[in-house]
Amino acid sequence: MNTTATAAELAGIRFSYDGGTSWALDGVSLTVRAGEYVCLTGANGSGKSTLARLIAGLTAPDAGDVTLLGHRVFASSDADGTAGTATGANPAEYRAARRGIGAVFQNPEDQIVTTITEDDVAFGPENLGLARETIGERIVGSLDAVDMAAHRRDDPTRMSGGQQQRVAIAGMLAMNPAMLVLDEPTAMLDPAARADVLRILDELHARGTTIVHVTHHADEAARAGRVVRLERGRIVGDRRNAADGSVLGTPQPIVPAQQSAQSSSAESAEAQPSPVRSSTAQSSPAERRPATSVSRPGDGDQTNVSTTAAHRPLPSPTATSAAASTTASAASSAASSAPAIAVSHVSYRYPGADRPAISDLSLTVGAGETVAIMGENGAGKSTLARLLCALDKPSAGSISIAGVPVAVDRAIGDTIGDLGTVDSGLTPGLTPDYPPKSEHGSGERRHRKSRVRTLNRRQRERLRGVVGFVMQHPERQLFADTVADDVAYGPRNQRLTEPEVAKRVTDALHLLHIDHLAERSPFSLSGGQQRLVAIAGVIACRPRVLVMDEPTASLDADATARIHELIRTLNAQGVTVLIITHSFAEARAVADRTVTLGGGSVSADATVTTAATATVTTATASASAMDSAMTSAARTDHAGHTDHDDYAVRTNRADRTNHTDRTNRTNHVNRTNHTDAVSAPGSGADTARDERSLIARLDPRVKMVAFLAMMFTAFAINTPLQLALGAVVVATIVAMSGVGPLRLLRSVHMFLAMFVVMGLLNVFFVRSGNALAQLGPIPITDDGVTIAILYALRLALVIILGAILLETTTPTELTDGFGSLLSPLNRFGLHTQELALVMSLALRFLPTLGAEAKAVADAQAARGGTIETGPLPARLRAMTALCVPMFAGAIRHADNLSLALDARCYEEGIRRTHWRALRVRGRDRAFCAAVLLYIAVLVVLGMLA
Amino acid sequence: MSVSSHTTNSVSATSSRPDTAHSTGVADSGRWSTRRIAMYALFVALAMATSFIEFPIIPGIQWLKYDPSGIVALIAGFAFGPAAAAIVSVLGFVPHLFMDPWGTLMAVLVALSLSLPAAFIYRANRTRKNALIGLIAGAVCALVIAIVGNLIVTPIYAHMTVAQVAALIVPALLPFNLLKFAIHGVVTFAIYKPITTLLDK
Repeated sequence: MNTTATAAELAGIRFSYDGGTSWALDGVSLTVRAGEYVCLTGANGSGKSTLARLIAGLTAPDAGDVTLLGHRVFASSDADGTAGTATGANPAEYRAARRGIGAVFQNPEDQIVTTITEDDVAFGPENLGLARETIGERIVGSLDAVDMAAHRRDDPTRMSGGQQQRVAIAGMLAMNPAMLVLDEPTAMLDPAARADVLRILDELHARGTTIVHVTHHADEAARAGRVVRLERGRIVGDRRNAADGSVLGTPQPIVPAQQSAQSSSAESAEAQPSPVRSSTAQSSPAERRPATSVSRPGDGDQTNVSTTAAHRPLPSPTATSAAASTTASAASSAASSAPAIAVSHVSYRYPGADRPAISDLSLTVGAGETVAIMGENGAGKSTLARLLCALDKPSAGSISIAGVPVAVDRAIGDTIGDLGTVDSGLTPGLTPDYPPKSEHGSGERRHRKSRVRTLNRRQRERLRGVVGFVMQHPERQLFADTVADDVAYGPRNQRLTEPEVAKRVTDALHLLHIDHLAERSPFSLSGGQQRLVAIAGVIACRPRVLVMDEPTASLDADATARIHELIRTLNAQGVTVLIITHSFAEARAVADRTVTLGGGSVSADATVTTAATATVTTATASASAMDSAMTSAARTDHAGHTDHDDYAVRTNRADRTNHTDRTNRTNHVNRTNHTDAVSAPGSGADTARDERSLIARLDPRVKMVAFLAMMFTAFAINTPLQLALGAVVVATIVAMSGVGPLRLLRSVHMFLAMFVVMGLLNVFFVRSGNALAQLGPIPITDDGVTIAILYALRLALVIILGAILLETTTPTELTDGFGSLLSPLNRFGLHTQELALVMSLALRFLPTLGAEAKAVADAQAARGGTIETGPLPARLRAMTALCVPMFAGAIRHADNLSLALDARCYEEGIRRTHWRALRVRGRDRAFCAAVLLYIAVLVVLGMLA
Repeated sequence: MSVSSHTTNSVSATSSRPDTAHSTGVADSGRWSTRRIAMYALFVALAMATSFIEFPIIPGIQWLKYDPSGIVALIAGFAFGPAAAAIVSVLGFVPHLFMDPWGTLMAVLVALSLSLPAAFIYRANRTRKNALIGLIAGAVCALVIAIVGNLIVTPIYAHMTVAQVAALIVPALLPFNLLKFAIHGVVTFAIYKPITTLLDK
């Protein structure tokens, strides 16, 4: 590695995104010494991300000089004019420099390129053309460095954000970078995952890696040796932190001066105590339980609290903190009226999930109250929001919002207020079962199928008018040509008159101070502005109850302050607000009180929730979902996945709702192959999979071609003898595949209906042979029945073969095989390596897009949009409101992904090495021969008939 | 698919290419820039995702199902040119190959015949009028391919003669496909403008 004392040297950098109209960076000069830990801070739009990309060598400036790791990558035409120095970008130097620079970005999942962790880590080294043994060593070393060695065979796309970010860092470490550039790597992580990533960065720094870290968290900046602050494209601060960290005492204001006191403390109070904080907040976690709590939880809950505290303190600050007290008084008077939200003994389990996301939760929120919902990832916070908005149906319990009965539990009358009957019903809930309606809880209700009554259409419409839902990343639901049109979507769905719609839009935009954006395209705005527009779109529906899921996540201080101001304004108007947040400071700043979900763990008994009897209570939910506490524990199912968080669960669920059982099958594929143990360092992929079934071990190319040949020829089966032969062959393959009959049945069950339809069709269409029966005008003949059975069975053979192939082959193997089979076409100018990569990335992003489509559909439904009913223009608008955000999501992922591919040194036509080597062995040849023989016999039998 | 090799060249010359600005000369420019690879991948993923959302739109004819994946191929063709349309049309259906081999081949042919003419016509002159002409031309081609394909493929699944399938053209195949391509066209037309705004960003 180049060991110059300077890691990066930038001088006189100018950078414009709009051809020089405005400058994202204007006259920036910065030198990063080797081994330094530099933080880049500044508000959204200050140019810090652009600067980070320049330092990472991922983009070139408009003007200036850039030297990275000793490589003169960019020289301005008007620079020193040294003889021989090329002007502009120097690709060869960029290429060389980039090999020594790792880059990690904000969005964890967009950096993942494949569905097996070790393959993902291997992607960079493969692009560098490293030898297989070296790649093996790099995989082990880099996964070790981020504490993910145990997950090397798991599917990273199903991991929590924190784990994904660690895998992304490992993917960079595997390329042995001298410098690591990270652009807000913790912005999307919860506090625990954030701490993990920061600790890893410290360790890497201690080992000598130069680190450039973009952040807007003051506490993160405080860890760095040096903090560079940007404002409007210029460096306005550059200081070194004292080694003892004494800088903590005198924090430089990261938040602009116009910020309110609350929000500036909101920024800095995340990790260290802020002076604003009252002394009570400093007490031990257990004592920080809300003072307003009316009924104390039972013994079970006490255990619960201590478990949580041991894991990580989860304080629930009181509403009387200095910041919130001003608004709290106004609200508490309103809170004494009828409850705006009444949740009673609600449980919910995602279809197919091992345990409930929410278990026996009771909670009452008075009209006009602002309540913060907190808890770790997977505690059931987002699930609760979805249940409140009638986007999911609870498996037990009742929910009522502003008098609208969102869910009515027919059995609730027996159990309410009777804590004794709510037993520890979690244990039976541990067995996963379909359909999702199954419920847990006290014994006598378990067998009842659907005891929760939900809304009829009119009530649902009323609810949409009453409840507003700001989902996570609401900017992802934007779709219209102009901001005003987008905001008008909800009011129009309420069938208001156009003047009234216009007034709603104006008011909503005004509330968020974005009046001036009305005629802009939402897609031309910054991320923060988009968030505000999306929230305006919900506010324009004039909800009496507003549910917000992490509305300020990854926003800068200014946008955060506006959202807090909005909440206070709405609160003053008597709107009830439920805000889900990870930030204690935010909870203190806006909420009257805080409700903390979670704390359940696998081994602990189900904790009993206190019945909400008083008007204002603070409920403690025993939402024993998959929180991070248990992920480190024994949660290892046979599939080998260990960690599921809230997000991963949602992904799984969306797969199903999409009717993508077939997609799921592709996903299941991963599971089948992950059962094997972690292979020894450098031993490669083959040795570890010897325990796999014979079919699973076949070369994917051989397998794909052979199976397709059998599938296509199965349609030539026309006689019972041929059918018998086919059946024997397929049965043998099934037996050799190790795929159990139950799993096989599960993956083909949705085709059963197709068989019936096809069968009936044949019965009706065949008129030859002897009539067996007469169905109206249609004779049923024996030929018809024979043919119906023959056609159905041969189709069954095709489908079983397809299922076996997908069950025994990973997507990685499929795409490797696909690429290899295509490669002869290289000669005709087809970019087969690129096509194979496109295919592989597409399969990797398929579940992600499915989940997002579901989220967008929910968000638009909450604004009253529906495709199924209504006049044609409204339906078309609803379709647009679904399609555009889906494309927008795809484009957003693609933009992020292309940077990640750059960072991993992928280039068109490069010579890559392969971590997984494809090799045709004896067994592959034998299998080929057997398949050829079978097809030959099939043809001969056909000719004899 | 052979078109992909020569068509991309001309696209890069005509269409606005956001991946050329601030280029380092490494992987972020050229015919197969990382951004293009990523875009193609995500459009293919979108086509795959939407191809699984299939439902019958003519009651009683179960095997004629509408799926919105054609919209993705059309948009890809408009935004990135015929090569992208071809890639999305072919790769988008690959997951179905191992479940319904013949049906997949047909779906690919129909998607190609829909999106390629549209993409070629639109590329010649990028106006709303040309987009409309392209959509109509694509729909006509796809209609022919869909009907011919059904005549060939249906007898493989059901014991019907070609004549029996032909008898279904007017009552089932024609209205179904007309409806399908009409929905494709109207939605594509409605959503293309905001999507180009996004791509040009």
